[in-house]
Amino acid sequence: MNIQFNPDETYRDDYTFANSPETIARAPFPFPDDDYMYSMNLEPHVSVGDGAFRAAFDIDEHYISECRDRAITLEKDPGMHYVSAPHMMEAQWDLLELIMESYARDYPQYFSLEREGRQWHWTNRLLGIDDRFTFGDPATLPYEPMEYVTRQAQGDWVLQEERDGTLYWGAGIATQRADYSLRFNLGMSWEEFHGPVPLVKEIGMLDRALKFLLRLRTGHPVRRLNWSLTVNPRLEVSAESLPEWAPDRTIVTAENAGKLVYLRIELQPLHRLPRSNAIVFPIRTYLLSLEDIATHPAWARRMHRVLRDLNQQLVDYKGFSRYRDAAVEWLSQYDDETKA
Amino acid sequence: MLITGIKSRPVYDRLQPLPGGRRHIVAGQGSGGRAMLRLLDDMAGLDRPITLLYSQESFSGQDFLAQLQQAHPHLPLQVLASNQALIEALKALLIDARMGTRLYLAGSESFLGSAMQVATHFDLNRDEVLREHSGTLVRRVWCVHCDTYTENVTQRLYDCPGCGLTLVVRDHYSRRLAAFQAVKADAEVPGELPPAEELDT
Repeated sequence: MNIQFNPDETYRDDYTFANSPETIARAPFPFPDDDYMYSMNLEPHVSVGDGAFRAAFDIDEHYISECRDRAITLEKDPGMHYVSAPHMMEAQWDLLELIMESYARDYPQYFSLEREGRQWHWTNRLLGIDDRFTFGDPATLPYEPMEYVTRQAQGDWVLQEERDGTLYWGAGIATQRADYSLRFNLGMSWEEFHGPVPLVKEIGMLDRALKFLLRLRTGHPVRRLNWSLTVNPRLEVSAESLPEWAPDRTIVTAENAGKLVYLRIELQPLHRLPRSNAIVFPIRTYLLSLEDIATHPAWARRMHRVLRDLNQQLVDYKGFSRYRDAAVEWLSQYDDETKA
Repeated sequence: MLITGIKSRPVYDRLQPLPGGRRHIVAGQGSGGRAMLRLLDDMAGLDRPITLLYSQESFSGQDFLAQLQQAHPHLPLQVLASNQALIEALKALLIDARMGTRLYLAGSESFLGSAMQVATHFDLNRDEVLREHSGTLVRRVWCVHCDTYTENVTQRLYDCPGCGLTLVVRDHYSRRLAAFQAVKADAEVPGELPPAEELDT
């Protein structure tokens, strides 16, 4: 199965990013019901169908453009979007191995990995990379192992180490993060980094999810979906650059919401890593405009109801208080119940 | 005591002698001196070396130096003019520290956070350090936009001395940075600010 790549899209300035109908159809739509609240939506990460759940780490038509956008963001502000504690090197190599093995297995037409002992040969035909290096020796790579491999991967990646019965942020690459600061979050425990999330602690989910994850075993990954809204198909929406993108929240109207408002779906396939015992949290983002969603009227109807009835605390936390009403009004044309 | 709805804010302790310690380092600033005095009373009769560090820097003007000197004239006491100088002195002490060292910290949240950065750097475990908060509820705040730290912030909104932006303090604390986070307060509509309020009141 070959992917028709769009190699020249932009996620900033003129925003030429666009989804093909095939990419819309294969997106992991995150709403199982007409109303939404946090839930223990973890399930075994097994291969299902030929959409976003087929591969261990999904790639799509945006792969090349997304890797370019990451490179632009990393170059612009060194030290801001990739951070690793010094003791995370073993977990970094674990991650490099996991991504390379998965990509080479799931997309043999684009990636290949040859190994002779510690001598590894990695080929990425999509980005024109052909590198030989020594596994375990960072001096043989142009970047630290985590940065090297995730510059060639879609989505953000966070490595969590297990200590004292909880998980701590040990390293991360985050060029698509939704209004948080990686430098600020590094070193935080499970409870600390979820601190700003409303209700999740109160409904008991935070503790249950942690207990579940601490039992995660190598070779038995789990996945969950999360979501938010954003204006424009912009990946770099960090806390640091808030002044650049937050003003866009004010330009949404009931007329233009279909084009301007994007559903950000986060697919998170969590894996336990074999040597370091760390857990990797990949955050693979799919951007669908409301117009994209409306090409599947059942999705638009459901999303109308979800946004209309969403708990205000979640609206505030996800940052779309200013344009929730405009998005709901635009979507209402796809909900017969409201039209009638 | 700091009891608020901020889930990432550390939960502080009450200083009390830690059993099994071979050497005790007691460090505090300003009104933290009161907790140091109480701890030293509780440690009376303990046959282990105790080292005191005290900084006279205080947001509220509290100074317990004279009381410390009078009550414990025999204990080695380093007096520092600023919290930063105390942090440096603590670093120098911990470089030579051996297994069995116990660390007690007392003072403002900013001081505790900065001292904990040093303790963490030297791999002191959770059961080897106690922290008691005292004094006012001022915060140390980090500007996410220009990387500037501001001490003694008491208001929800303040002007960053680094980049000049008016910032809003988020109720989110990073132990690694020993600071709360602040972001541009009128990021959506320039000039449209959230209501000003005093923090933690």
